[in-house]
Amino acid sequence: MSGMTASFGRGLVAFFTGCVALWALLLIAFPQLTMLDKSLRPPARALDSSVAETVMRDARTCISVLDTFEASAKPSEQPATSGGLGVPSIANAPRSRAGTSGGLAVPSIGGSRGAGGGLAVPSIGGGATPNAATPDAPTRGYILQCDRATTATRFVRDPDAEPESLITAFGLPELRVDDRASFDEQRVQAQAVIDAVRPVLAELKAREASALPYSPQNFAVIVAARAIPLSPETKAIEDAQLSNQLFDLVGLRFEKDGVVHVRLTLVTLLRTLFFAAAATLLALIVCYPIAYNLALASSGRKAVWLFLALVIPYAIVELMRVYAWVSLVETNGVFNRALDAIGVIDLEAGEAIPFKRSPLTIFVVIVYTYILFMVFPMVNVMSTLDRNQLEAGRDLGASTWRLHRRIVIPHAKPGIAVGCITTFMLAAGAFSVPRIVSRGLQSEWFSQTIYNKFFESENSNVGAAYSFAFTILCFVIVALFMWLMRARLKDFVRA
Amino acid sequence: MEMRGKDVVLDGMSITYPNGFTAVRPTDLAIEAGEFFSILGPSGCGKTTILRAVSGFVEPSAGRILIGGEDQAGLGPNRRPTALIFQNLALFPLMSVWENVAFGLEARGVSKRDRRERAMALLDLVALRGQEDKKPTELSGGQRQRVAIARALAVEPAVLLLDEPLSALDLKLRQHMRAELRDIQKKTGVTFIYITHDQGEALTMSDRVAVMNAGVIEQVGASDEVYSAPRTAFVASFVGEANVFRGKVAALDGEMAYVETPTGRLLGRNPGALAIGADAMLFVRPEHVGFANGAQGGAQDGAQGFGNVFDAALERRDLEGPFVNLVMRAGERRIAMNLKNDGAAAPAADGPQKIGFSCEQALVLPSGPLAQTGEELAQQ
Repeated sequence: MSGMTASFGRGLVAFFTGCVALWALLLIAFPQLTMLDKSLRPPARALDSSVAETVMRDARTCISVLDTFEASAKPSEQPATSGGLGVPSIANAPRSRAGTSGGLAVPSIGGSRGAGGGLAVPSIGGGATPNAATPDAPTRGYILQCDRATTATRFVRDPDAEPESLITAFGLPELRVDDRASFDEQRVQAQAVIDAVRPVLAELKAREASALPYSPQNFAVIVAARAIPLSPETKAIEDAQLSNQLFDLVGLRFEKDGVVHVRLTLVTLLRTLFFAAAATLLALIVCYPIAYNLALASSGRKAVWLFLALVIPYAIVELMRVYAWVSLVETNGVFNRALDAIGVIDLEAGEAIPFKRSPLTIFVVIVYTYILFMVFPMVNVMSTLDRNQLEAGRDLGASTWRLHRRIVIPHAKPGIAVGCITTFMLAAGAFSVPRIVSRGLQSEWFSQTIYNKFFESENSNVGAAYSFAFTILCFVIVALFMWLMRARLKDFVRA
Repeated sequence: MEMRGKDVVLDGMSITYPNGFTAVRPTDLAIEAGEFFSILGPSGCGKTTILRAVSGFVEPSAGRILIGGEDQAGLGPNRRPTALIFQNLALFPLMSVWENVAFGLEARGVSKRDRRERAMALLDLVALRGQEDKKPTELSGGQRQRVAIARALAVEPAVLLLDEPLSALDLKLRQHMRAELRDIQKKTGVTFIYITHDQGEALTMSDRVAVMNAGVIEQVGASDEVYSAPRTAFVASFVGEANVFRGKVAALDGEMAYVETPTGRLLGRNPGALAIGADAMLFVRPEHVGFANGAQGGAQDGAQGFGNVFDAALERRDLEGPFVNLVMRAGERRIAMNLKNDGAAAPAADGPQKIGFSCEQALVLPSGPLAQTGEELAQQ
């Protein structure tokens, strides 16, 4: 530190230290802690209080919509027999001031007071049992489903657990709004629901506020098994597969009550890590000779050409670099056409090789995409090897293999470790490569699973648990790898 | 530890690099088995190329290399009965000392126990017992040197090739290591081929020395012979210091020749039997030049013995312990003198002095390229 102050001066050092601290705080500590916090909280909509709140909100919405509808329908005729669409016209809605401004019957967030933020679609618990009378009551003149406001609404529970509702958990009477009843009756019924649920909601809120907000249940989702319905024939085929037998052995796949269960998320996670490791190994095998040639074996001019060949693809945007492969591996792509041309396969007869279905294609594209990250650390370290050592080894009678095993590899180990770690992390987190190359024709990589949890299923709490677990696992693997390589951190400075 | 040296023969060997540069012109050289043979020459003269050719890293463009009578053509460095000690030693920094020494045995598939045993015996030879588990970087320069020697000897080479291995050491250590190398060579009986640009090393250690310049071996002979009876202008100027007087042979007197030089007509031995009128150079060593007026010192063979005497003025005087180096100026040229520091060596006055040298100590050789002087090297 004093050395730094001497060479850069106090001001620059303070600025630099501040930048580093800010970076560590904003880009490492804060996001990871946020992710951890998020991953340990149950999704807000799965809380019992949110369910209760939703029921109350539905009831309130029901009342306000009935009011609006009645006001607009009064001049004409009886509402229950009206055949027209029940969307109230806003223009002559006299009671549209009390928060129900839109008057639309779809329950909206704005329609309930104080229920800010919560998701308004209470569809999780399977909902209330639909009113048995609804199907044969086509006379309902409005589109509001007042029957959602019922104490029979279920809480969010594990699929295996006993279902619970406001009735079974709190002993509330079974209350619901009957669509066929008159408006006044419906309003009374809805009010009854509100009155019954209000104390329960208060109690739930109090209970949740005092309880520990954290639970590992999101992480449990990672190892949860899902039942896979299979016909006996399909099951026989699946059972015969080696990968499935392996899964059976380690408990990733099992049979319960005659139904096959698979821990799909865990399988995806482990397969991603395995594939990433395999791609890293492939990259290492491809890159070692390149790096050796570049650093130690080539004359200056040859090394320049090799270097250019490595760097030029990196002048292309990554997405384009990956996409270039699609035209090669497609069913009617360059590879299949070439094979067709030389008579190996017959495209007409549908003999195209399904490259896009093969994990090997993804490996190859990953190696191509991230090759520099493997080559450069190795070149850097290898170029510091004294060539005389190679000659000395050769002169003492060592074979080429022994020269590499005893001299080049031990010397290049820090570079190999850095290259492997970088490539492994890039491959494990690869999103564009598996997505673009396989386009859904292969099982997804875990990064895709995380993406889907966050942005497709909107279950960001589980997504957070996935990504946090993934980060930790990768970290453990990297640490394990470093331990295996006996690579010390200070060696990495050389690389 | 008895090993057996083999003889090395270069049979018309020449080496031309792909870029057209001829590093070694066709050379015949016979190095005897068990000999300590040095190749002495300035940097870039091709001596290292010869070494690399013998060890197998460079293939001769023409001619043959025979070791123990066997043609080495097509054999890689790992299959020749030679071991090379590199200028920077090239020890393996990640291996311990004994693993370094045993590397050649490892490559030959010797079991770990035998390897360690043999390595220990060699470390005994080079007086490094007890350092076997250290890393080379933990050793001193001289110890590293000895590890390199032990490592090379471990493969029991018939010929040990040394590429200026002492050049990185301090003066004192270098002098000590010379003796040690000589000693090891005697003990093992291995043929040593020693490459150096340091004439002191070559002269003190070697049985025979080859002096090389611009890809050509100019003279091969025992140390004394090369120093006292150089056959070419280059050898005379490269091995040891020499004052050079250029001129033409003016007259002959039996074994002697008169050379007409800007400094005057000088007499010297004429071993090459140069004819009158030939371009010649007359060489005389600084230690053979003395003051001719008896009062001023009466050097080696006394004032009366000087067949060549001329006027010169003192320009510079450098004290070098037991000797005093003087630079005298005679007209346009400088003459170096090297006198014993016995208190009477310094001239009394700055004025012109008479200096000279004996005809017997002066050597007349055909004119030819000279070794670069320190001054010329500094200007490059």
